[in-house]
Amino acid sequence: MDGNEIVLSIKDLHKSFRKDDGGLVAIEDFNLDIMDGEFVCVLGPSGCGKTTLLRIIAGLEEPTSGKILLKNKEIAGPGSDRGMVFQEFGLFPWRSVRKNIEFGLEIRKIPKEERRTISDRYIDLVGLKGFETSHPNELSGGMKQRVGIARALANDPAILLMDEPFGALDAQTRNLMQKELLRIWSEMKKTVVFITHSVDEAVFVADRVVVMSARPGKIKSIFDVEWERPRDRSGVEFASLRKKILAELEIETVFNR
Amino acid sequence: MKSNAFDRLRKLLSRDSERGLMKSAAIVFVSLVVFVLVWWALSSIFPSEYFPSPYKVGVALVDSFQNPDPNTGVTMWQHMSKSLVRFLWGFALAFVIALPLGLLMGFSNIVENFGRPIVEVFRPIPPMAWAPFFFVIVGVYWGPVMPVLLGVFFPVLSNVVFGVKSVDPLLLDVAKTQGADRLTLFKKVILPSAIPYLMTGIRIGLGIGWMCIVAAEMIVAFGGGVGLYISVMSQVGKWDYMFAGMVVIAALGILTVEISGYIERRVSKWMGMK
Repeated sequence: MDGNEIVLSIKDLHKSFRKDDGGLVAIEDFNLDIMDGEFVCVLGPSGCGKTTLLRIIAGLEEPTSGKILLKNKEIAGPGSDRGMVFQEFGLFPWRSVRKNIEFGLEIRKIPKEERRTISDRYIDLVGLKGFETSHPNELSGGMKQRVGIARALANDPAILLMDEPFGALDAQTRNLMQKELLRIWSEMKKTVVFITHSVDEAVFVADRVVVMSARPGKIKSIFDVEWERPRDRSGVEFASLRKKILAELEIETVFNR
Repeated sequence: MKSNAFDRLRKLLSRDSERGLMKSAAIVFVSLVVFVLVWWALSSIFPSEYFPSPYKVGVALVDSFQNPDPNTGVTMWQHMSKSLVRFLWGFALAFVIALPLGLLMGFSNIVENFGRPIVEVFRPIPPMAWAPFFFVIVGVYWGPVMPVLLGVFFPVLSNVVFGVKSVDPLLLDVAKTQGADRLTLFKKVILPSAIPYLMTGIRIGLGIGWMCIVAAEMIVAFGGGVGLYISVMSQVGKWDYMFAGMVVIAALGILTVEISGYIERRVSKWMGMK
């Protein structure tokens, strides 16, 4: 875990969608290497293709050209070596918290006792002790996403993909969940790719903020955030970096009007 | 957030608190009393042998259970059990065919495009229109089973197809990222998602099936049946006994729907959607 090893490598990625009125280029010339244990935020205006990028990494969509290497192996289709957390949680309503978390373990035919040990560990990690037998309809939004995170981690993936995971939560829960995620991240030492449209969120959590431009979605600039965590949202540094990134994004929106 | 079948089911089930249940039970009771009183009043104002009072029907009802009636030679118990056995056979056969077919049609476009036209040709034909044909093909004892089968088949089929197609695409994506292949998607995501829709299909099918069994037995049913009983009683002019038969049908119909409602609640509780 020295942070020098490349876990995920995105090479010359292109993605265009066929539409009736010609093609729409969603992603163009996208190159990015993500290091082991790194927390990378991809930030961009809506419609810039950031979710498409994550879905391609997850294997839910295929690139038009280019490739993605996970630990030097080209990815083909979805797999449990990449854990994905969705904005709308996507919990199975008929499964309890524990059974939701054990979903991937069941698929991989891991024996029951072992599944239980693993799910216990992640239930504990995300702070859901006592809710093992609850069903999603009994949980708040923040708790649902804790289940989502635990479920993604339970497969022990090489990388955690998060698609605006806190976008459906209220502002307060969102701030709390950002802190919780950082705590989990520092315990698990997982590589994270985190999609967001919130500059504040990106600066608060990320080691590196990748700002995308829209139509076509390209990398516009990359900001390293090397400060210690927990970060002070009200600090001067924080404000000035936020301002810089916001300026980048604004140029972006103006250009696309 | 879109409201899905689970949410609707949940709302439906959680609406009745204990006090609410007591209250609605009281109203149901009052409603039944009012119904019987109106019946009584009408039968006294317009006395007619074709329109017996609730008392006479009640007497006939008790008698029909206690003594075998001279025209069919058996008691109401036997008529009921014959009708129920036919009904259960029709229901079971329809279920066994409609469920897998519906799952396949919902899952595969090829199967759906192939099956849809055939289903649409048969759907508008009332199950009873088949009755004469089935009496010839499978005989007078099993004949009434077939209209039941058809009556149950279509609601179960359409609801299952709809249920499979209504599966949340997000849940499919989740399962894929968890390493699910097509078979696993089917077993662990599509099938459980379709269960509430299946239950709705069953509930509708039970109601239709019950009407079919009685109607078909009225045409002909060898060896007894409540529909047969009603038809025979009207032919021999025992109107109070005919109405008693209708009361039995109503009671059995309510019973089947109540049982399916109970199963629906149990299933949703077991699935964690109570």
